[in-house]
Amino acid sequence: MTEADRLQEERDEHEALLQFLYLAPTGLVQAALDGAIAMMNPVAAQLLMPLAADSSLDNLFTALEGVAPDLRLLCRDFAAPQGIVCDGKYLHIQAGTQGRNAARVLSLSVVKLGETRLMAVLTDVTAQVRRERELRQTDAWLNAIITSIADYALVRLDHEGRIESWNESIGRVTGFTAAQTVGQSYALFYPAGATTREHLSDRLREADRDGWSLDDGMRLRADGSSFRATVMISPLPELDEDGASAYSLVIRDVGDKAPAGERARHAALSDYLTGLGNRRAFFESAELELERRVHVPRPTAMIMIDADHFKAINDQHGHAAGDAVLRHLGDCLKHTFREVDVVARVGGEEFAVLLPSTSMAGAAAVAERLRMLVAAAAVNVGAASISYTVSAGVAAVDAEATSLEALMKRADQALYAAKGAGRNRVVSWTEALADSTAAALEGGDGH
Amino acid sequence: MTQAASATSEVHFAQPNLGEQLAAMSDQALDGLDFGVIGFDGGTFVTRYNAFESKAAGLPPNRVLGQPLFTVVAPCMNNFMVAQRFEDAHDSGEALDATIDYVLTLRMRPVKVALRLIASPASGTRYVLVRRAT
Repeated sequence: MTEADRLQEERDEHEALLQFLYLAPTGLVQAALDGAIAMMNPVAAQLLMPLAADSSLDNLFTALEGVAPDLRLLCRDFAAPQGIVCDGKYLHIQAGTQGRNAARVLSLSVVKLGETRLMAVLTDVTAQVRRERELRQTDAWLNAIITSIADYALVRLDHEGRIESWNESIGRVTGFTAAQTVGQSYALFYPAGATTREHLSDRLREADRDGWSLDDGMRLRADGSSFRATVMISPLPELDEDGASAYSLVIRDVGDKAPAGERARHAALSDYLTGLGNRRAFFESAELELERRVHVPRPTAMIMIDADHFKAINDQHGHAAGDAVLRHLGDCLKHTFREVDVVARVGGEEFAVLLPSTSMAGAAAVAERLRMLVAAAAVNVGAASISYTVSAGVAAVDAEATSLEALMKRADQALYAAKGAGRNRVVSWTEALADSTAAALEGGDGH
Repeated sequence: MTQAASATSEVHFAQPNLGEQLAAMSDQALDGLDFGVIGFDGGTFVTRYNAFESKAAGLPPNRVLGQPLFTVVAPCMNNFMVAQRFEDAHDSGEALDATIDYVLTLRMRPVKVALRLIASPASGTRYVLVRRAT
């Protein structure tokens, strides 16, 4: 073979390899460790362009800032010289802004190829996610069957979820006596703030519809201690004396350890920096809550929270200090809101909370509590003591705003008004805000 | 650019009513333009592809003409920012003439461009025009 032949062969091989990457039906990006993009294929541009606020794809982290705010940190903290930084992380894209066939959920995997290169793989998984949610129910059902259990209590509930009678298993697992239980709602077994009256009846309705309703979580004993349990409610075949339906409630004490599947699920739903829910957790839980509302109307509120002048904190004290402030804010959020509230980090310094069975005024009061808590605190980073404040916008479901998008838009408008009025304050949405922010945002990309 | 001073050099990327002008131009005349021209029909099949675009993209016209634009030739444009704008214009029966900043991925390299999207209900051919940022 001549030198020329070999060169030609190499060129052909190179061309074939290039075409292979170019036409891959999944988004491929090669970036430097600081996110600077060196190579990408067409599908990557197709998926990333709608997310890149500045219409440029210079940097992977910047392009994904709005949907994966913790990615930069995740890559920075990945110490090994090579390996998988994240595998199939779901990125939720805000609906409503991108037209009908747009991707709603992207899956992102990042692999560190060495000391200088990252590879990112992006796939539109909108359809799979919908199917997955249905499968997860089945999973939970199987888990409940095969998980080894420490003990279980069998409780009979009437048609409104009140405990009809006491038996020994209730005493053994929960420590409650007959006098403490009979006639009480099964809310008795939930720690404070872990459920609402509406959620309790949602479960009974789900059991009527599907034959069973299952959930995992912490449950309460009579002495105030809690234990991890799987709880299943199913309708009893026979009616009670009044001809109304009745239910059996099985509380299974599953011991201290969460099953492996649940731990993995928890990691996939958590924000890496703050330990709060991530965008995926927020969108999934919030949509589920609003779906329940359609069947049985109830007040539902949302709060959008933003750390004031966060960029200045980063600029003045550095990114590590910025991260410490966000972690502090995350702790304040955990401390302020109930377990039943959906609390998540949805942007760089932006947090969202969905409050089931809560009115606008109720949500505004809690938001105000958070604002005061933050304003009174200081975060110590090295020698510096950083004080900061938050602004919050509050909105509630009404006849016009019933979807997640509509609710988020209103909470955003209220937040925008809080920022405009000088920050460090809570503003509740009114119709007047919709008009004024629409005018203010005209031609811009929002705040 | 003095040697390129042909009749067609009077046609510029940003000028008004460009769609009508392009429709009236021969393929040879399109080849004289200093920006990329991709024309396609109602089924998104590429019908026109000028020399500037062919050279910049490194694709000979015979590999592009007759191919569906958004799935084979330029999958990077298959989203709400480009492909759907043409669909929406068609569905609403309205004219489309918009210029947006975009990134193309020629040979795996991201390249910043301006795209001008042109369609009108009266014309069978729609255009994506590409100006490389200098």
